[in-house]
Formats: sequence, structure tokens, C-alpha cells
Amino acid sequence: MEEKKIIKVKSFRFDPQKDEKPYYDTFNVPISGKMSVQDCLVYIRENEDPSLAFFINCRLGFCRRCLIRVNGKSCFSCLTDAEDDIVVEPLIKDQVIRDLWSKDI
Amino acid sequence: MGEVEKLCDKVISTDLLIVGSEGAGGHAAIKAHSHGTSVLILTKGKIGQCGASQMAGVDFNVDGKTAKKLGFIGDDRDSPARFFEDLVREGLYLNNQKMVEKYVEYAPKAMKDLMDWGMRIYGYDSVHTEEMARGITSAGTYWVAAIRKKVKELKIPMLEDIMLIDLLIREGRIAGAIALNIKSGETILIKCKAIILATGGWHRAYSFHTGSYDLTGDGIGIAYRAGAELISMEMVQFCPITMVWPPKDRGSIALYVLSCIDPFDKYIQLVNNKGERFMEKYDPINLEKSTKEIVSIASELEVENGRGGPHGGIFFSLKHLRTKFIDAIIRIANNRIKNELKDTRYEFTTLIPELIKKCKTENIEVGNGAHYMGGGIKVNENTETTIPGLFAAGECSGGLWGAVRVASACTEVGVQGIIAGEVSPKYVKKVEQAEINENQVREILDRINKPLMRDEGITPNELTKKMHEISGKKVGLIKEGSLLKEATEELEEIINNDLKNLCITSTKSKELNDEWIKAIELRNLLTCLYLSAKSSLIREESRGEFYRRDYTYTDHDNWLKTIVMKQKNGELDIKFEKPVVTKISLPKGKLTYQEAIGVATASLKRE
Repeated sequence: MEEKKIIKVKSFRFDPQKDEKPYYDTFNVPISGKMSVQDCLVYIRENEDPSLAFFINCRLGFCRRCLIRVNGKSCFSCLTDAEDDIVVEPLIKDQVIRDLWSKDI
Repeated sequence: MGEVEKLCDKVISTDLLIVGSEGAGGHAAIKAHSHGTSVLILTKGKIGQCGASQMAGVDFNVDGKTAKKLGFIGDDRDSPARFFEDLVREGLYLNNQKMVEKYVEYAPKAMKDLMDWGMRIYGYDSVHTEEMARGITSAGTYWVAAIRKKVKELKIPMLEDIMLIDLLIREGRIAGAIALNIKSGETILIKCKAIILATGGWHRAYSFHTGSYDLTGDGIGIAYRAGAELISMEMVQFCPITMVWPPKDRGSIALYVLSCIDPFDKYIQLVNNKGERFMEKYDPINLEKSTKEIVSIASELEVENGRGGPHGGIFFSLKHLRTKFIDAIIRIANNRIKNELKDTRYEFTTLIPELIKKCKTENIEVGNGAHYMGGGIKVNENTETTIPGLFAAGECSGGLWGAVRVASACTEVGVQGIIAGEVSPKYVKKVEQAEINENQVREILDRINKPLMRDEGITPNELTKKMHEISGKKVGLIKEGSLLKEATEELEEIINNDLKNLCITSTKSKELNDEWIKAIELRNLLTCLYLSAKSSLIREESRGEFYRRDYTYTDHDNWLKTIVMKQKNGELDIKFEKPVVTKISLPKGKLTYQEAIGVATASLKRE
């Protein structure tokens, strides 16, 4: 019935106050049932690294604020399925408050 | 600059601070601004993109007679008086009747405002179970867009992505507030004469809920700490047929909404893991169309007795229909949503057709999500709390609904927004800015900074898990004295120990530090959950949305009273108050739960 699969989520990381330049962290995320990219980020924050910064609010496409880049393409993280390994980045890399949250969202 | 001004990173002054920018807060701000008051909106997200309003279905209520005057088809059999009676009767008499009168009176005003501000309207319909069509339907996204547009047009000052931390009180009245910029980590001292809290519910105390991420009971927790009275904290509404699985759709009420709409409502079945249409057992007459409460309780009992799904729900099923028929349903739904309504929301344009299609081959696991908080900060019909200068509007307030939120919460939000926006300017004119208590500011700042300074203790994620464990198992839909007692004791222990021992270790950065924000929110969430558990333990009966399996009677003789809580000298002070009565006198007697909510069901007892 349910496939269990582990995907790699490679995430852009940057704390302008602390880091000289951005870097990437890779997390293993177990996929069970259909999960959004945002579900993966929540998983990481709750289980792997609570310091990961990203936007979350309505989780169902209402607020239209969770804009990020998945494999280079801009999208809403709550509406985008996570099926295979992905690279997640902020919408605009040189305007980052922290990690995946850029100033314009 | 005095000493106290130097304590925070920023100092701002206004006459009226409004916390919350959406259905209640935004509406209140527009009204207060029109009275010439200096207003500042503080919102935890961005206006039009946060809170509960955006996610609403949405329907507004206006009685049929008055609806005609607004240009809708309406219903001549209806009247404001009849609407009032329905609200009190269906609220099982715990309502503050003065507030219900205001609701009925101001409902058309709230509607008129939104129409004037350009909110798109779908139509006039009946979406609740009442006999009369009283619903004006739209989309939550249109609602908040209309408010946003008006607020921007009036250039009302706004602080976005900023959360309220605590109220500042001087000689028993409002002097200001402390807030935190989520993006920068800066603290803000706001000096003001009055505050309207429009902060919504405390959904995130539950792991399974239908709300947005920012609904953490901030207004309620903060008002309680400031000494305001809270009311009916035991009244929590759970929404049946909420998506349990898969994770991407978890918390969506799309299928519940579908189950309320003609013609889809005729075809929907709920089944257990044996494929049995279990509502036949609980309410053979109304089946899935029974009341929200009965459907919720029945689903819960099935799960409890081992007949649930793998993720703790039951199943939404169309398996009794032929594939061709399901295709026809998808066509009708698509036509209605995309062509007639031109709806743009993901849940409607994409999720609903996808889910119906999925039903051709499998059932969908659904359950009871924490949905609406009936209690909250005690207010009177003028939205005044028990603290001078403090007002509350919308879901964070309590008193209107009694034991069942039977009509539109969106209308509540608009009505109380208007009233708060009309009443607070008068208060503002009467008073001078109170002096800020320096010690109070120091204490608040010290408290929020402590978790960042600790290197050992319990993390916000660990504490959240503990909280969800308690809310899910002991303060859920079906309540029981022994479990509630355990819950209150465990929560007391957590509040007295864990909460004071929170530590943030993943990063000490103050920018967008989710762990830090969670640490601050947990204080409010745990306060709400604890008071709700305590209040539930005290109410030894079942009434409307409140169901105790150890006290299944609706006991008008002993329990037609509300539970009012406040903090007094650091201790919880509890008292009972008779509901405010204007026209409908309180009934007597003792009825079974089903008799009281007017459903002839079979037993809802444990097997």
C-alpha cells in the first residue's frame, strides 16, 4: 500500500550574521504517503535541524507566501510534491534573511 | 529618552493597537480609523496572507428578511428574531444573549461593509443545517483581499511579521505591549491607550487541526497572564471528515465542505476498516448528514474500537458508486468550481477533483481535526474584556456561541470587528496614556531571552510533542474525567517545570528563529490547553460540542452556567456565571445528549 522511501533534501543554508558565505546541507527524509516539499522541511526542522529557516503558514495553498526554489524552479513549497531527491533554495539567493526565507516573501 | 525606552530595540506610540490584521482585526482597524483614531495594526504574518480567515469556506450569515434588503433572494419566513432564537436554542442556552442580539443586528452591517469594499460573492444559500437559507457564500481569500485592499487604501500603519509577547498594565488598565519582530528578532515597546486582540484560536495545541501555523492562542494566553477573565474554554469544535492522510493534504476540510454541498452530500458515505457504513448504527435516519457532533463522535468510537484506518481516521468512500457516476460527479464539481464560481483556490480547483478521482479505486482516510475554539477571552456585547482598555474580537473572544458554534464564525468576526472598532475610539478619547512599568518590561524581556541563554533543558520540539501527546489522547473530542484529571496534572507539571526550562540550542541567532518563536508560543498554547482541560474536567455534563462519556446527560438544572477563569495573584481563580439572558429564559430538566441536540440516534456509549 504505502511505499516507504528515503529521499535526499539538499538545502541552501545561510545566516548572514554568522556565515561568510552560503553552503548546502543534505538531509535524509523518509517519504510515507504523498508529502509536499514543505512537509519535508517540517520533518527536518522537527527531527534533524530545528534551526532551518523557511516559511510556513496555511499549508494548503491559501496564503501563497511559501515561495521557494525546488531544483531551480520557483514554486509554493506546500503545493509541490516531494517524490525524489531535491535541491531547495530561497527564491532570491542574495536577499536571504536566513536559509530558505528571502526578504521578498 | 527615559530608562524604560532603552530596554527594547524600538519604541512606537499609538492610541489604539490592533493585534491581528484579518477578518476581525482588519475590519476593526478600518472602523476605528474612520473615527479618526490613531491606529496601528500588528500582525504575526502579512495582511491577507495569515491567520484563519483566509482559509474560511466561506459563508456569512444574514437573516432571510434583512438579506432581501441587501439585494439577495432572502427568505420572508425568516426574521432577526427567528435567527436570534435559533442561535440561542442551538447554542444550548449557554450563549450571552446580549452578544447574540448584537450578532444578529450587526450581521448585515458586516456584510454591507464587505460588499462595499469589493468582496466577490458567490451566492445566497444554506450551508449550515438551519431550515432557512441564511448564508452568503464567498471565499476566504476574497474576504481577506477586500480587507487588505481597504486597509492599504486608507494607509493604516501596520507592523507585519511581528508577534505580540505580552500586555503592559498600569493600575489595572492598558499601558502598552511588548512585541517581537520574527524576521529580525528585535523587541518593540508599544505605548498605547487601548488594544484590540483579534488573534484567533489555539489550534496548534493539537497535532491534528484545520488551522494555519500561526494560530497559537497568543491573544488568549497573553490576556490571561494580564489578569483578564476567560470563558467557556472547554468548548472546542472538531471538524469531521478532515483529511488525515496523506501528509500533504492533512488538515484540509475540502471533503467536509463537499459533504455539505448539494448534490454531493447525497452520495458520500463514511465507512470503517471493514467497509461498514457505520453511521447506520449511530444515526440510522440522518446517516452522514447527522450533526457535526454526532458524526465526529461516531467516527471516534469506530477508531477507538479498532475499526479505524492505519493513521487514526475512518474512511470517506464513494465505492458504492459506479466509475462512470464518479466521473459525472467530477464533471459537476469541476463545472461548478471552475466555470460557475471561477474559484482559484487549490483545495477546490485541484484537491477536490483529485480526491474524488482517487475514490474510484480507494477510500480516503479522514478524521476529526481541532477546528474552532468556542471559548476565549470573556467579552461583553461591546467587545470589552474585564481589563479597561482591552478589547477582543473574533475567535479569541468567548461568550457568543454557548455550547455550539452553529452559525458563521466569519460573521462573528466581522460583527465584533465593527463593534470593537466603534467602541474602542470612545475609550481612547477618555483616557491618557498610562505610564509604562519598567519592571514589567524587564521581566518580560528576561523571560523571552532565557531559553536562548540556556544550553541545557527541554527543546521546544520535545515539549511540543509532549503537549500533542496529551491533547490527542486526553483532551480530544470524547472527554472522560479520569483522563482530563491526568491531563491537568501533567500540564500543571509541564507549566511549572518544562516551560521554565526550555532551551534553544540549534542556533542562537535571533533572525527567523523558529525554535525561539515556538518557545514563546508554547507558553500560550499550554495555557490554553491547560485551562481547556481544567474547564472540561469541571463541567460534569455533555452539551453540544462538549461531550463527556462519563456524564452523557445535558443537565439544564445544574449546568446552565459558564465557567469563567482568571489569574489572581499567580493562582487560577474559577467561578461560575449564569449566561446573560435577554429574551429566552433558561430551560430546566435533564436530557440525554442526543435529545438535547435534537437527534434521535442510537447509543453513543463505549462498546
